[in-house]
Amino acid sequence: MRIDWNQYDPGEFYDELISTPGDPRTASKSLAEYLGSLNDQELNRRQRAAELAIEEMGITFTVYSEGENIDRSWPFDIIPRVIPNREWRRLEEGLIQRLTALNMFIDDLYNEQKIVKAKVFPASLLQSSDNFLRQCVGAKPRYQVWAHICGTDLVRDKDGTMYVLEDNLRVPSGVSYMIENRSITKRVFPELFRRRTIVPVDDYPAHLFDMLAALSPRELDYPEIVVLTPGIYNSAYFEHAFIAQQMGAELVEGADLMVDRDDCVYMHTIDGPQRVDVVYRRINDDFLDPEAFRKESKLGVAGLHRAWLAGNVALANAPGAGVADDKVVYTFVPEIIKFYLDQSPIIPNVPSFRCMYKKEREHVLDNLQDLVIKPANESGGYGMLVGPASTATQRKRFANLIKQNPRNYIAQPVLSLSTAPTLCAGRVEPRHLDLRPFILQAQHSYVTAGGLTRVALRKGSLVVNSSQGGGSKDTWIIETPNS
Amino acid sequence: MLSRVAERLYWMSRYIERAENTARLLNVYSLLMLDLPRGVGVHWRQLIEITGAHDIFNSSYRSDGEPSVLRFMAGDRNNPSSLITTLTLARENVRTTRDQIPSDAWKTINELYLFAKRRLASPNFRKNIHHILSEVIALCQQTTGLLAGTMSHGPGYQFVRIGRNIERADMTTRIIDVGSATLIAEGNERERLANRLWMNILHALSAHQMYRQNVRRRIRRDNVIQYLIQDTRFPRSVAHTLLQLEKCTEQLPNYEATLQSILRLKAIVNEADVVGLADETLHQFIDDLQVEFAEVHKVMNSTWFSPN
Repeated sequence: MRIDWNQYDPGEFYDELISTPGDPRTASKSLAEYLGSLNDQELNRRQRAAELAIEEMGITFTVYSEGENIDRSWPFDIIPRVIPNREWRRLEEGLIQRLTALNMFIDDLYNEQKIVKAKVFPASLLQSSDNFLRQCVGAKPRYQVWAHICGTDLVRDKDGTMYVLEDNLRVPSGVSYMIENRSITKRVFPELFRRRTIVPVDDYPAHLFDMLAALSPRELDYPEIVVLTPGIYNSAYFEHAFIAQQMGAELVEGADLMVDRDDCVYMHTIDGPQRVDVVYRRINDDFLDPEAFRKESKLGVAGLHRAWLAGNVALANAPGAGVADDKVVYTFVPEIIKFYLDQSPIIPNVPSFRCMYKKEREHVLDNLQDLVIKPANESGGYGMLVGPASTATQRKRFANLIKQNPRNYIAQPVLSLSTAPTLCAGRVEPRHLDLRPFILQAQHSYVTAGGLTRVALRKGSLVVNSSQGGGSKDTWIIETPNS
Repeated sequence: MLSRVAERLYWMSRYIERAENTARLLNVYSLLMLDLPRGVGVHWRQLIEITGAHDIFNSSYRSDGEPSVLRFMAGDRNNPSSLITTLTLARENVRTTRDQIPSDAWKTINELYLFAKRRLASPNFRKNIHHILSEVIALCQQTTGLLAGTMSHGPGYQFVRIGRNIERADMTTRIIDVGSATLIAEGNERERLANRLWMNILHALSAHQMYRQNVRRRIRRDNVIQYLIQDTRFPRSVAHTLLQLEKCTEQLPNYEATLQSILRLKAIVNEADVVGLADETLHQFIDDLQVEFAEVHKVMNSTWFSPN
């Protein structure tokens, strides 16, 4: 039996590949035809080949607190997700616009606070922000850029509109999987790459390297760049190693580094201490430096913050950049873009209710069963309430949480996330997905071609996080005749 | 090169070499036991003694016959020197230095680990033991070959070679020690058994053919011991590993102290009169060598791995 696109029905949802049963979208036409030409056996053989490649290549992610078996194979679906180039170019512009404004916002908060003085951004919100670090006030990182690497989550609603769901400005992960997904797809469907122009994704590490090198405090041809990882038990360890390897940078742990009396950072090598210029840190602010932040941190490097303030080392992302990675701040991004750039957002926000405002809070409390409630500072899908799927007890608990700490919660309507054909137990079925492009910013900006498409593998599920049963797909930006 | 990375490369290499040697040893032991009559003093239990894990073995196994010993040495994760533990540690060390290792070598090590995980603890292990162990040996050698052929021969690779040679010397001495076990037999019978035992020791180190070619004598205890300890050309003899260690060390920064400890050990090995040693004295000599090798490791550790 072959895939019969007439039998594939995404229902009320927007499907990324198929517009109505039997009718693929322009950019996906040849992909749909090709997939339709494979019989079930052939299709499943390719899925198995992909899984084998993942196991052999050791593409893994780690799940917290699973005891011994911490290293899991990366769940991957072989059917790519397609985005026409014309649409992508517009999204790219929107992502750069957004990150540019966010960086101006962060720099402003730690320096003049013009946006607070102009009463566009409430002072109370800043005072109660967990992610605003007093230790960073007055710091002036190069190019006034604080968030050098950003992973922004995009979702598409029923009517086809793309929304920004959140901006990850702390230590966003997933980019290595984006690159590996492509190399697996090339192994599994080599014939597809011969026939059409799919924009390559593997230039990311080179751009990342150039961006990091541009931050070096010393003018050197070969500044010493390191990737600082919390270590092998971190869920993104695979990615840290991958990125270091791809850039030819050292992968270091906290214990490999030290800050000397000259406020410079050194790493322990077999030749003795060696100066470090740029640290791409994959450790959260809290744990970065026991001297400046959490004292009990064993992952960080004592004195790192001091070296950064002295301008002897660059940190990417800068400490404190997380102040803009807060779901309440998120709701202000349209105002932020307007304030700094005098533009309107190219990519809209998901309409959101802010529980800090009485009227909006009352609306949220009255409609918990229809809304998604998100805490300001969690990521990875933790600590959320999905109204329609919740029990009365859960709703009661969240109502209390919101009343106790209204500033910490926002609410959004349940989006009807778009779907794409996904191979599930040998059959092709629609599954919900999102997209995380990665944006780099220093003196220039760069956006990955597409990004990481994450897909909820369980039927009807909207949770795409790999820690909670999500998988991923290769993402194709494709030239179409009219693009 | 980061000190931590140097250390992990060193251990990765030791564990790969240890896995290969352990697989070799299990293979040869299975064959040896088929050759020797019961009750002559050679026993499966000696395998456990070679690896020094008798306490753990005694606490979890009641019988010390072939099935228990094989299970303990192959797929038992509680045994710190079992094949599966060794390969897990090898893989963990590579996983934490993946950025330094050619990706094909990582793939092979990963494949080796996955193969071992599937097969070593399976109920059919004993039935397919020869095939499974040969595959483990082949994949270990493939890894060694890939590293030699695709990794830059800079400091990182010198640590790989150092690890391999230290582990080799360690295993060679342990295996010679098997021969110092007293055989319970008399006269001609005793000599016949001893020769068979020493022949198998050569096999365990893949040294049989090279011994025949180079020593050109029948297999006798003293000649075998001399060959495995003092021959400078056979890759698994102690003297050869010391030459290798000397060469690798000289290519690293701040090598003086380590080189000195190697040269001292080299003198002990070269000057030893190993012909005609009683079993007891042989055992003591092997013990002394192992202490000296541990000393070399200690000096390296304080020079390169944890200088503070």
